[in-house]
Amino acid sequence: MPGLEFRDVRKSFGAVNALKGVTFSVHQGEAHALVGENGAGKSTLLKILAGIVHPDSGELFWEDARMTFATPREALERGIGMVYQEMLSFPNLSVSANIFAGRELTRGGRLLRSEMETRTSAILAELHLRINPRAAAESLPAAHRQLLQVARALAFECHILVLDEPTTALTDAEADHLFAVLQRLKAQGVTLLYVSHRLPEVFRLCERVSVLRDGAYVGTYETSAIRTDDVVRAMVGRDLPPRAEHAAPVAGAAAALEVRGLTRAPAFRDVSLAVGAGEIVGLFGLVGSGRSELLETIFGIYRPHGGSVSVGGRPLAIRSPRQAAREGIALVPEERHRQGLFFNLGLRHNLMMPARTIAGDLIVRGAREREEATRLMFEWRIKAAGLTVGPDSLSGGNQQKVVLAKWLATRPRVLMLDEPTKGVDVGAKFEIHEIIRRQAAAGLGCLVVSSDLPEVLALCHRVVVMREGRIQGELSGNGATEESVMHLATSELKDAS
Amino acid sequence: MKRLLHVRELSTVAILIAEILFFSWYLWPDASRSHPFLNAENFLLILKYSSIYGIAAVGAAVVIISGGIDLAPGSVIALASVVCAYLFVDAGWALAPSMVCALFVGVGAGLLSSILIVVVKLPPFIATLGVMGITRGLAFIVTEGRYFDVSSKMTGGWRPMGLPADWVAPLVMIALAIVFQVLMTRFQWGRQIFAVGGNETAALFSGVAVGRIKTSVYILSGVLAAVAGVVLALVQGQGKADLATGYELDIIASAVVGGASLSGGRGSVMGAVLGTLIFGVLRNALPQIPGATFYDRLIVGLAVIVIVVMDQLLLKRGE
Repeated sequence: MPGLEFRDVRKSFGAVNALKGVTFSVHQGEAHALVGENGAGKSTLLKILAGIVHPDSGELFWEDARMTFATPREALERGIGMVYQEMLSFPNLSVSANIFAGRELTRGGRLLRSEMETRTSAILAELHLRINPRAAAESLPAAHRQLLQVARALAFECHILVLDEPTTALTDAEADHLFAVLQRLKAQGVTLLYVSHRLPEVFRLCERVSVLRDGAYVGTYETSAIRTDDVVRAMVGRDLPPRAEHAAPVAGAAAALEVRGLTRAPAFRDVSLAVGAGEIVGLFGLVGSGRSELLETIFGIYRPHGGSVSVGGRPLAIRSPRQAAREGIALVPEERHRQGLFFNLGLRHNLMMPARTIAGDLIVRGAREREEATRLMFEWRIKAAGLTVGPDSLSGGNQQKVVLAKWLATRPRVLMLDEPTKGVDVGAKFEIHEIIRRQAAAGLGCLVVSSDLPEVLALCHRVVVMREGRIQGELSGNGATEESVMHLATSELKDAS
Repeated sequence: MKRLLHVRELSTVAILIAEILFFSWYLWPDASRSHPFLNAENFLLILKYSSIYGIAAVGAAVVIISGGIDLAPGSVIALASVVCAYLFVDAGWALAPSMVCALFVGVGAGLLSSILIVVVKLPPFIATLGVMGITRGLAFIVTEGRYFDVSSKMTGGWRPMGLPADWVAPLVMIALAIVFQVLMTRFQWGRQIFAVGGNETAALFSGVAVGRIKTSVYILSGVLAAVAGVVLALVQGQGKADLATGYELDIIASAVVGGASLSGGRGSVMGAVLGTLIFGVLRNALPQIPGATFYDRLIVGLAVIVIVVMDQLLLKRGE
């Protein structure tokens, strides 16, 4: 029976092709999973379905009728309900106000509060939720707030319910409750489109699974006729880039960076890892596995709850990024716009800020800085109109090289990079990889966080895999393949403790 | 950055000159009478009264560039003037120690603001709104409704370093403007303030001690407001708790007219001081226009809007 159909849906953002002609269909009344790596195009596809993003070309059909949405409201009116990962709710409003937000029941402009509360109670009873409709949404536990979105979808009589990573913030028991609710909805004939990184959930809930990779549709499989490993292979199965040969790091030398039992609950617990001088270690994990928080804690942005960090064999108690930088730790952060660049200042100031700040200078030595900034621009091939222009005039790749260069100017011993090639073009990506390799060859310990698996495999000597805030395992040499890393990152924890 | 600031200050100077030319023409007297606006005495008067705003505006500009706001200057001016006048007139202290004590009032107010902002993490608007109330309240408590007559005690006039008292305030303002313009553009401290105001998160991630920078700017703003308060006590010859009411908004407006962006990261000390002169000229010239008496606040308000809108249009065209 034809249900929801995507026909040749295309969408690009600037030079990035997020969706390269996706065609697949979801049967009416089935639970259908959509999986893919970070950046495979799942979110874009969902946003198109929700009417938030408009496709460049291609069409959407529901029961053979074409659907076009100018606004999210229209999608909702066509019966498409969304449950987002990041729980879009109004924490300050009541449960019933949340459920009816944007479509309040009114008479002559007056809110029919009691009627909305009655209907809210009925819907919540249907979901077996004992919640007072008048309670403030912020007083509810995370799981209930998630279910509030399901309730909201039901209040609008949705026949398609889209769930984007709904279990990331839930405990196992809470996830079980959600699944029970979803099973019941499915029994009532609601079509479910379920997006998740957690393959065990996919196999538990869904009849079929569709795989996206690099913005393209790979295939649809019956979950009864396929294994987890096959899905993983479909998700990552592209040609492996040529594996660069590295000189093995010097054995026996003191580790450039050593982390022991570092904990900052709930982001990560009991993390131990070491990065040798001259070694490039990859830290792989899905979004929400605690990688960025780990790097930022090592860098002194957050205080750890326990554990130790040492640089060059010397234990440190790092309390601020300033101190971390003075001890030779550099962090190229994940979000260069928010965390890396000063758009009110020119490139010279951007490039010299960390080096001159941690040196504790009093006076800005213009001539010397111009000289050094020019050298940095030349050395790292940063293309810009000059030293006085702001970073907003640079391409993403050049902006990223500015952030990298400003840290290399501090002559660090440990270089931590969080998604160093996110949103940069292929050429810049290659150059950034070269910079990292050169720095490692010169004796820096590099710790690279990336969601880009081929990048991690091509760049790193070793890969440490994190999942839900814990180190899940480590792979090196030929043991590290896309399948093995992805398997480690998505499978259940080895020990339940 | 430096070139951009240069251009911005020039446009503020241009507005000031245009304003002076306009009033010179508009108030041109009939033959044989002297010009009521265009004369050296009147200009000294403008400078003298503007300098109270101007000195505090140096601090306000630095705070605004750091991405914050300080609502306390008006009250700190009052409290500092009252403390200085009380110690000098009522307690019989010498002038110099009275002045120093008044400056510590500014340190205290700035320190309190910065603790509330950096440690308690209150938004600057709320923190300094509270400090504004506290300092104004302290001024009333110190005076108990009294008024201290400073001028009567300074027989023969105050002539520090042999200069006439009327010159001192403008000279202090100009010196502070130059010193802090240099500190903001040529010193690491100033650059870090621009960094914090432009992108606080990136500043933290670049190793800038954001808390320390913020503390320094609020203390600076407090101290400079206290300097303005001491100047007020000496220039007007009195200490009173209800002086300088509402000055904080005029000071902020001057900084904005001088090119500062309330979202932080943009602005200049020089521009802010020039901004206070623009308002100083308006306040001096408007009452001299017959029939304009009731319009002067309206015109000042319109001037803020027109100048800032022009500034934004220029900025947009520049991009």
